[in-house]
Amino acid sequence: MPEAPRARIPRPATDNGAAGGRAGGAEAAGPDGVQVKPGGHREATLYSALAGAGAGDGRSLAELRAQALRAYESLELPVWRRSGFWTTSLQKLELGSLRREPDAAPALPEIVERTLPARPRAGRIVQSANAIVQLELDPDLRERGVILCSLKDAFREHPDLVAPWYSKRLTVDRHKLEAANAAFWSAGAFLYVPPEVVVSDPFEVVYAIDARGIAQYGRTLVLGGQASEFRLHEYDLGEDFEGQALHAGAVEVYLQDGARCRFAQVQDWGAGEVFDVSTRLVDVGRDAYCHWLPALLGGHLVRQHLELAVSEPGGEMAFRGLFFTEELEHLDVFAVDLHETGPSEGDVHWRGAATGQSRASFEGLIQINPGAQRTHTYLQIHSMMLSPKARVDAIPSVLVSADDVSASHGGTVGDLLHAKPRAGPPRRRARDRGGLF
Amino acid sequence: MADLEIRDLHVCTDGHEILRGVDLSVSRGQIHALSGKSTLASTLMGHPAYEITQGSISFMGEDITSAEPHERAKAGLFLAFQYPVAIPGVSVANFLRMAINAKREEPIGVKEFRAQLAHAVDLLDVDRSFTSRHLNDGFSGGEKKRAEILQMAMLLPDVAVLDETDSGLDIDALRTVAEGVQRLHDEQGLGVLIITHYQRILHHVKPDFVHILLDGRIVLEGGVEVVERLEREGYDRIRQEFGAGEAGAVAAGDPGA
Repeated sequence: MPEAPRARIPRPATDNGAAGGRAGGAEAAGPDGVQVKPGGHREATLYSALAGAGAGDGRSLAELRAQALRAYESLELPVWRRSGFWTTSLQKLELGSLRREPDAAPALPEIVERTLPARPRAGRIVQSANAIVQLELDPDLRERGVILCSLKDAFREHPDLVAPWYSKRLTVDRHKLEAANAAFWSAGAFLYVPPEVVVSDPFEVVYAIDARGIAQYGRTLVLGGQASEFRLHEYDLGEDFEGQALHAGAVEVYLQDGARCRFAQVQDWGAGEVFDVSTRLVDVGRDAYCHWLPALLGGHLVRQHLELAVSEPGGEMAFRGLFFTEELEHLDVFAVDLHETGPSEGDVHWRGAATGQSRASFEGLIQINPGAQRTHTYLQIHSMMLSPKARVDAIPSVLVSADDVSASHGGTVGDLLHAKPRAGPPRRRARDRGGLF
Repeated sequence: MADLEIRDLHVCTDGHEILRGVDLSVSRGQIHALSGKSTLASTLMGHPAYEITQGSISFMGEDITSAEPHERAKAGLFLAFQYPVAIPGVSVANFLRMAINAKREEPIGVKEFRAQLAHAVDLLDVDRSFTSRHLNDGFSGGEKKRAEILQMAMLLPDVAVLDETDSGLDIDALRTVAEGVQRLHDEQGLGVLIITHYQRILHHVKPDFVHILLDGRIVLEGGVEVVERLEREGYDRIRQEFGAGEAGAVAAGDPGA
């Protein structure tokens, strides 16, 4: 069946095109009028790790919501700039015209069944707009103490389990959309895998937007008990529609002693004018392990803060990501490999490609805190520009505050300007084949 | 007298008393599981950061309380590290040959070493290419622990102390490591002291004796029935029963974990 033509959507409000540069950008005037040469200098980067700066400090959910609401009301829509060569601006988001509830009663979006692979699963929770439209959990797992429900229900039914972890390492007021998420989320997802429970089939957490005009607030909290093993698949999916929509997301995953999690995430917001501003954090406890694979396959404007923190000795992680942008899409990824203590191991490997007139920026940070001795980690990013007007920035960086470690990074950006494009957007073909895992 | 005798052991580190009178006996052919501190493993091998303030350790009838780590290893005591160190540039095979030679008067012959290595590799179901890689350099958690068990199989100690060897392993790697330990015990009469925080390794290795260490003392001892009780009642119950302040396991949902 031929694919529907994609609507022409204006480029997100950025000045990246004006810079006219590729793979690192051109020189541009800094705030004081001085010519700033981009890249190669820590001061040229903007983002910083959360590094444990969570809002959850024993206050109630209502108190955290109130703090977030105050921030939401006082802040403007954010603009993130790296000096001279990169801007991600939400100025064109018409937040006031978006609503949290759809016109009709929410139902399971067709894109969910069309996209998710038909295969055994441990459980599934689907949030469409801001309502849960599908929730299922293997009865045997429920019997063994596994919990999968909306975060709202989890606060009501398991407050002692949820409250100590909620927003433990996530802030609620760094910018307007983070504050909006913390203030307005109403459904969300909660997964708890008890100690020593091993689950081979994946848990699926789905956020879907199937109509324009929606402001979706996604909030996921996952607790992996001591020596548990499980797989978590998150899908962020949008139909092809005309008009604006927003997904402001926050995901926190806590892996206790010896827990092991394989966390995969597919994000594809379709051809609509979907803005996605999200923060995801995984906390790897003592002797725990996380393999995290984000696949960021597009959205009108996507900004992702992805932080993988080893917080206890013996933690180990593999952070393998990929991104693909096309047409006029704008992607801004900040991936953090944080080691708060040692010994610990890390391996960050990202690959990406951009085509059309899309813009993609990947900043990867290795941060090794004081005392995190015997940390060994490596970060690499390889990306390609598949059209003459595409642009990719790759900014690997290292902040090391311990002296018995090995940490290194590397990045490549290349172009493939004469390749003949194949029919249809490749990412949509991949998605519609029924999954990437 | 047991091969490894620990009597009234008191140990301090950083000014804190961690062990407060531990008594434990391990002989060849026995498997002991101890839930508690890695401090005991470090002390047994003579880590300089751990000061013995009272008590004694004897091995094969000799007092080794003050012996150097290499003397303990030469005597036949082996420690599998919780966090093995990477040694780039030294292959697993070369490391093993050097370790074996350190215990012998004459260097081991190439043919004999190869035969011994092939036997150990088969016994532990390890890929042969594993031995040509640099020791622990770029190894996954599971590979590091397999390398420790491979060393154990090659050095043929009388008693091995496994310091949280099960940590950082997925269920398949745990099974492989545990089966290797069990085989070395069954086929070579190895004595084993498994120090662990988790119960799951005890589903694969069958201990003859189980000891629970709380607040620096062994508060509960017995056979596999202790493991069954732990699984039934959890550590919290035992902690309450003995009025201890800490345990080998952390309750789920504890934000301070």
